[in-house]
Amino acid sequence: MDRKSRWNSARVTRRTVAAGIGAAGLAAAIAPFNIVRAAGGPLKVGVLLPRSGLQAGIGQDCQRGADLAPGIFKSMGLPELTLMNGDTESNVDAARARAEKLISDGAQLLVGAFDSGQTTAIAQVAEQKGIPLVINIAAAPPITEQGYKFVFRNFPTAPMILGDAFANQKEVFAAVGAAPKTVVFMHVNDTYGTAIAKGIGAVMPKFDMPYTIVEEIPYDPAAHDLSVEVAKAKATNADALLVSSRLNDAMLLTRELVKQRWTPQAILSMGPGWYEDQYIKTLGKLADGPISFVPWYDPHKKLSGVLEAALAKADPGVSLNTNHVFTFEALLVAADAYKRAGSTDPTALADAIRSTNITDNVSIGPGIQFNAKGQNDKVKDGAIQNRNGKLAILAPKDAANAKPEWPLPSYQSRG
Amino acid sequence: MIARLRAGPASRRAIPLAILLAAFVFAPFFVNDYLLTVLILILYFAYAGQAWNIMMGFAGQLSLGHALYVGLGSYVAATLFTHFGIGPWLGLLVAIPIAAACGAVIGYLAFRFGVAGVYFAILTIAFAEFARIGFDHLDYVNASSGLFLPVKQYAHNDLWLLRGDPTMFYYVILAATVFAFVLCRQLLHSRIGYFWLAIREDEPAARAAGINTFRYKMYAVMVSAAVTSFAGVFYAFFYNNLFPEQVFSISRSIEIILGPIIGGIGTLFGPILGAFVLTGLAETLNAVMGAFGLDLPGAKQVFYGVCLLLVVLALPDGVWPPLARRLGLSEGKQ
Repeated sequence: MDRKSRWNSARVTRRTVAAGIGAAGLAAAIAPFNIVRAAGGPLKVGVLLPRSGLQAGIGQDCQRGADLAPGIFKSMGLPELTLMNGDTESNVDAARARAEKLISDGAQLLVGAFDSGQTTAIAQVAEQKGIPLVINIAAAPPITEQGYKFVFRNFPTAPMILGDAFANQKEVFAAVGAAPKTVVFMHVNDTYGTAIAKGIGAVMPKFDMPYTIVEEIPYDPAAHDLSVEVAKAKATNADALLVSSRLNDAMLLTRELVKQRWTPQAILSMGPGWYEDQYIKTLGKLADGPISFVPWYDPHKKLSGVLEAALAKADPGVSLNTNHVFTFEALLVAADAYKRAGSTDPTALADAIRSTNITDNVSIGPGIQFNAKGQNDKVKDGAIQNRNGKLAILAPKDAANAKPEWPLPSYQSRG
Repeated sequence: MIARLRAGPASRRAIPLAILLAAFVFAPFFVNDYLLTVLILILYFAYAGQAWNIMMGFAGQLSLGHALYVGLGSYVAATLFTHFGIGPWLGLLVAIPIAAACGAVIGYLAFRFGVAGVYFAILTIAFAEFARIGFDHLDYVNASSGLFLPVKQYAHNDLWLLRGDPTMFYYVILAATVFAFVLCRQLLHSRIGYFWLAIREDEPAARAAGINTFRYKMYAVMVSAAVTSFAGVFYAFFYNNLFPEQVFSISRSIEIILGPIIGGIGTLFGPILGAFVLTGLAETLNAVMGAFGLDLPGAKQVFYGVCLLLVVLALPDGVWPPLARRLGLSEGKQ
């Protein structure tokens, strides 16, 4: 019998029994210390965010949510986390390298990374190394369609975001007893705006919306003047303005609406820009009125108040938003899993995350649970309206804290 | 034999080159996965920089839109793989002529109508931007929502389909970099290479000497585009996701050209040294900052800027030429 076949045979000898008992004894002797060490120390979490490069502003905003987490978790009796920050530089190459670096430095769980491309690169590393990745923000559906075992996402996918936006619009229309019959759709012609435009075409027919889109007007993200586009939109005589924009163009559009004396019945925004702090601070009274449909927080949840207060203390003047909420919640998932797993072992952590059931959370919806693909399919979007420099939540009903103001007050009457 | 090896600079260059190659070949046995990823990045930028160097370093045609060929290579191979199950090596056979044809169109438009210098550079940027916007609207490749390659856990490396662990990708990009180096060396020392150098140094004089400058500039653009397309194929299968905004972006074009600029435009070792300096030292900087507990996002970009500034001010020919002279490894005037 050669060596290989001897190994393959199931023959038990005195020597193998002795070796087995020895190994078992050694394992038993070491194991308790391992468990004590694992359960006692803080969980090392690698937080990967684009804190420099094109997405630096958003990445730094997400970081605020991460920085608030350890203090709040302490007051909640959750285990301690050690945050290991990594900058993805808004770049796929750097995202992958940073993930490898954090893991080699001892990260036991990863959180990140705002952008779908960067998150996909990190997900591959996490899966290869068997280190759980909890995605804070990234909406591309394929990330959780790859059959990964260590990747979890507590953020709606792009189709979920659009579906909720239309559902919330209908809820708002029902609450005010009015709805636009026609809308003109203006969108920034970048990756995000184009994706929303295409998504609207695919998703809207399923929702039997009361309005039709009379014209679609794309514009350049770097445009410094949108007078022609707004004039074109005004000329359609549409009841409302449906927009998908960024911050700068949202401000340009508003100024142009004022200049051209056009106040549509409503401004319905499918994305960032219109609810952001800078928009509200820069435009003052002119910022009031637009309704945005975005993943948001439920103001009735206890933890939302705690997070809002902590943010106000740490960064006065910064309003709680999607970036803070979902980065904080990703860390909440990590801390909760660590508490239940009682170990920093990545497989045990992944198993614990899989059975997550957090109802004391921040975002809209029944709580945080993951389906077989690692996706939280219960997380919901909200409809928020700018009111006197603050944000009121109009829908869904369970999360609402105000009735919609409808129609949009005339820009000319705002003084 | 040793005496012969010591005889001239060319032979003397062979020894450090062999040591460098051996170090690269055995590196995966000694480094962890993070360092392996950094080495992959270094080789990737060395390869892409070498490809760009053919056009700018050898033929003197400044391209600031090389991301176009990376993007075309990546999208062609990824599309063939996701839609038809065609592997990346066969995909590369399709990507190369497409990239070369695209380069030919740009070259023809520019050289036929006398668009040169900075205007040619702008033209290359324009084409990369056309491609980015076009792919942002091309539903067949999932437009701006991104094209995702299926990812599985593979029990073993599949070189034919480029599916496997980072070590396999490391050896693939190492082989490609060696290939690009040898190709560039052969080109540079061939008739076509001398014609390119003549065009780079003084195009009217080259034309007066009987060189068909239009034809040889076209060759430079097409060869450079074709070689660059493999960088795209590698990118697609290593990262498994493609977004037009990422692969066709001007920042990717700039990343490609920084290596050769820092290392030395028109030299064979310049792109490799430049990639080392930029990626290697930037990662070292991050590691040192991490060791001191400093968390300074953007420090790498500042480091890139400082490197460029220093090179422009102190070493206008790049790091390699003076270093080579000091080490007695000078390639001579190219």
